[in-house]
Amino acid sequence: MARAAAQDFSWKQFRVMLRVIRKGEQHLDNTGMGLGGDAEATGKGVATKVGLGLRRVAMAVLYLILAGAFFALGIGLGAAGVTPYSAFSLSVVSLVTLTVLTGVYQAVNILYFVRDLSYYLTLPISATTIMWAKLTHFLALSVLGDLILVPVPLGCLFAQSAPALTWPLTVVAFVLCAVAVNLALVIVCVPIMRFSRLAHDKDRFSRVFGGLIVVLALAIGVGSQFALRGDGLASLASGADELLSGGAPMVVMGVICPPSLFVRQALTGDALGVASGLALMVASVALYALVLSALARRWYFEGVQSLQGAGAKSGRRVEGAELARATRSRGQVSANLSRDWKTMVRVPVFFNQFVLSSLLMPLYFVVIMVASGVLAFSEMEQAGVSVPLLLELVRTATATFTPGSLELAWCAVGVLGFSILLGFSSYTFTMGVSRDGDDFFFLRALPMDWRSYLVAKFVSPFALSTVPMLVLMLVALVVLGVPVVSGAYLVLVYLGATATLGLLSLGLGARFPRLTWDNEAQLVKGGGATLMVFAGLVVGVVVMALPALALLAGCLWLVIEPWLCLVLALVAFVAEGAALAWWVLGPCARHLSRLER
Amino acid sequence: MIRIDHVSKSYDGGATLSVRDLSLEIRSGEIFGLLGPNGAGKSTLLNMLAGVLAPTSGTIELGGVNVVENPLAAKRNLCYVGDSPDHLLRLKGHEFLRFIADVYEVPQDVRSARIAELAHEYGMEGELDNQIQSYSHGMRQKMMIMGALLPDPETWILDEPMTGLDPKASWLLKQSMRRHADAGKTVLFSTHVLDVAEKVVDRVGVIAHGELLFVGTVNQMREHFKSNGSLEEMFLELTSENSPFASEPERGAAGEKNDAPAARPAGAPEPPEVR
Repeated sequence: MARAAAQDFSWKQFRVMLRVIRKGEQHLDNTGMGLGGDAEATGKGVATKVGLGLRRVAMAVLYLILAGAFFALGIGLGAAGVTPYSAFSLSVVSLVTLTVLTGVYQAVNILYFVRDLSYYLTLPISATTIMWAKLTHFLALSVLGDLILVPVPLGCLFAQSAPALTWPLTVVAFVLCAVAVNLALVIVCVPIMRFSRLAHDKDRFSRVFGGLIVVLALAIGVGSQFALRGDGLASLASGADELLSGGAPMVVMGVICPPSLFVRQALTGDALGVASGLALMVASVALYALVLSALARRWYFEGVQSLQGAGAKSGRRVEGAELARATRSRGQVSANLSRDWKTMVRVPVFFNQFVLSSLLMPLYFVVIMVASGVLAFSEMEQAGVSVPLLLELVRTATATFTPGSLELAWCAVGVLGFSILLGFSSYTFTMGVSRDGDDFFFLRALPMDWRSYLVAKFVSPFALSTVPMLVLMLVALVVLGVPVVSGAYLVLVYLGATATLGLLSLGLGARFPRLTWDNEAQLVKGGGATLMVFAGLVVGVVVMALPALALLAGCLWLVIEPWLCLVLALVAFVAEGAALAWWVLGPCARHLSRLER
Repeated sequence: MIRIDHVSKSYDGGATLSVRDLSLEIRSGEIFGLLGPNGAGKSTLLNMLAGVLAPTSGTIELGGVNVVENPLAAKRNLCYVGDSPDHLLRLKGHEFLRFIADVYEVPQDVRSARIAELAHEYGMEGELDNQIQSYSHGMRQKMMIMGALLPDPETWILDEPMTGLDPKASWLLKQSMRRHADAGKTVLFSTHVLDVAEKVVDRVGVIAHGELLFVGTVNQMREHFKSNGSLEEMFLELTSENSPFASEPERGAAGEKNDAPAARPAGAPEPPEVR
């Protein structure tokens, strides 16, 4: 009894806690894909404030663009004859799917992986109060993010000129669904965090969910190949409608998102039906809130306590010959490479963002190409063209890519275009120095050879971003029967493009490193990181411009011979590469050797 | 030997002076303790010695090598333990020590024996295969100290090295410092723990508001104050806002703005060695 009384909710303490959490809490977002944790810059200068303002504006614009895209999608659905209820079902099913896959981690991140929790443990505040303050913060952030899906049914309403009252009704119904899903999620999280050993190893837990999120991204990419063809979207919407209509799927959806059981009544019924539907939706949310409150009173703080100080230790002794082997002498490049690689692999944020994403990128392309190919082949077979015949036609075309030919020049332009797109992932290089954060100033006190340091910073991301894609490219060249010399030329162009792109990005990152962050997630998420990803595209255009001009001079403007434009493009890459290598290993390395806090 | 010649460090274009016109020579074979309250400029000074910060004016030489002009050579002759042990946390203990040994080019034939010896001394043998992030604060500090001692360079610069160490590790470090100095090498460390300074150092320097107020032995300090009081009492008097050694700005608003130091008031005692 005393224990339960000690965990009673206090409204006054709740408000104090919510204010503290909202203003000053630091999350340990280990995947770098969760909500929050993107602390703002702490500088006071005008430049910092302007930068912060720009980032906010850019993020707002990005959010609006996405919302606009979803609205347009809704209009498309409406135009295709999909009912607003089906469009709403699609957005709720998407919400549930996304939340189930990514929400567990986000909830755990905000409710448990917080540095300040160990301090809260020392305060005379009830667990229920702290949990509700944190949950309210989490729900506010989550629902705000989930609202990005609302424009889908709204667009459908717009397309069908629905009455004005249905708009706020749709929004309220969606918010209730979003709140319920997140409550359900936390209901699952509380016992998991109390009893699961995996959840107590933050690194492993973060990697597992980071992997899940990347797989989700893959699934969305692949799914979009099917959904965006023909009446795919309309089929998806009617499928979502069926999910909420009956049988086992409806029960599952009802457990995860109880308000979904009453959505049809609230959105399509008469006045009494709407009122009762909404009341039932609110009641189901209240029921989940009560269940969660009861669970949290029992297990939330116990989960928090069991997390404190958790972390795996090997307990193995390294000594004698093994120690001698483990500490063998290396050069500075190897030493820095090993340190950088281990840090990148062991920090879940960096692993998910820089290693996993880079390795899965080719897989992403393969799956999308295969998916598109299967669809294209099936359409062609329906048109009477067999697959072997199609391959033969393609090989006949690629056989014309002879050395010095116009076709090869155009193909090289295509490789450059593809490489510009790779600029999106060049922030792996740009973040190379920033990844060290405060450790950088520890390294500054060592007799560090900064050229070796930068070479090491180049090698890991270059290998990660280039090798898998190179393998894919070689397979494609062989399968398509491109002549060997021409294939080798295209490979050289690709290597030149990725190397110069990497060098320029690395150099820019070394000239303007972001070393003052509190946790790794701040580096890879939020407005600054998003802008940097887009800036990579500009960097890509800059390094590809000269070789592209040389190629276009031969194949588009026809002012030089094709063979000459091919040679000039390679020469341009070599010259650019040499100049950039000199810049990185000279001025940039010197800049790092003098960089102060 | 460490030679600091009229070194100043300012920020914000000279508006904030962290270290002002400081000159000091620390001889080979001595342990020099740098004392001062929080924000006195100790860490800034040590960071300049370690080459992490560049002086705004003045020169710093370690073993005759200018730190600014030839940082790499200067750094090979020093090891530095900063005020935080939270570095390279994702590396395992042996990986961290290997990295340090590689950067300092510690010869292959001595490094593993030296690592084993240090690990044994500091009771870290069972921890070498664990990531540093799993260590307690004290263990992390031990690892930083082991990393600093592994290359065994001429000069040791340690910023609050005893913080978080258990009594045995603290005693070990003091012994290592003594041995190092007795071998004709140099140890400079900052501390808040006056008891440590009193027992370990050959000479002490007191810094406040970026100025070196006193340099001498603890006995000279005691003699100067004509006091049998503890070092703590002398330190408090020396670094107070009304200290007779403090220049006018400190005794006023205790600000750190770049004003010219005022003349010492008449009747104020002359310190033995005021920089």
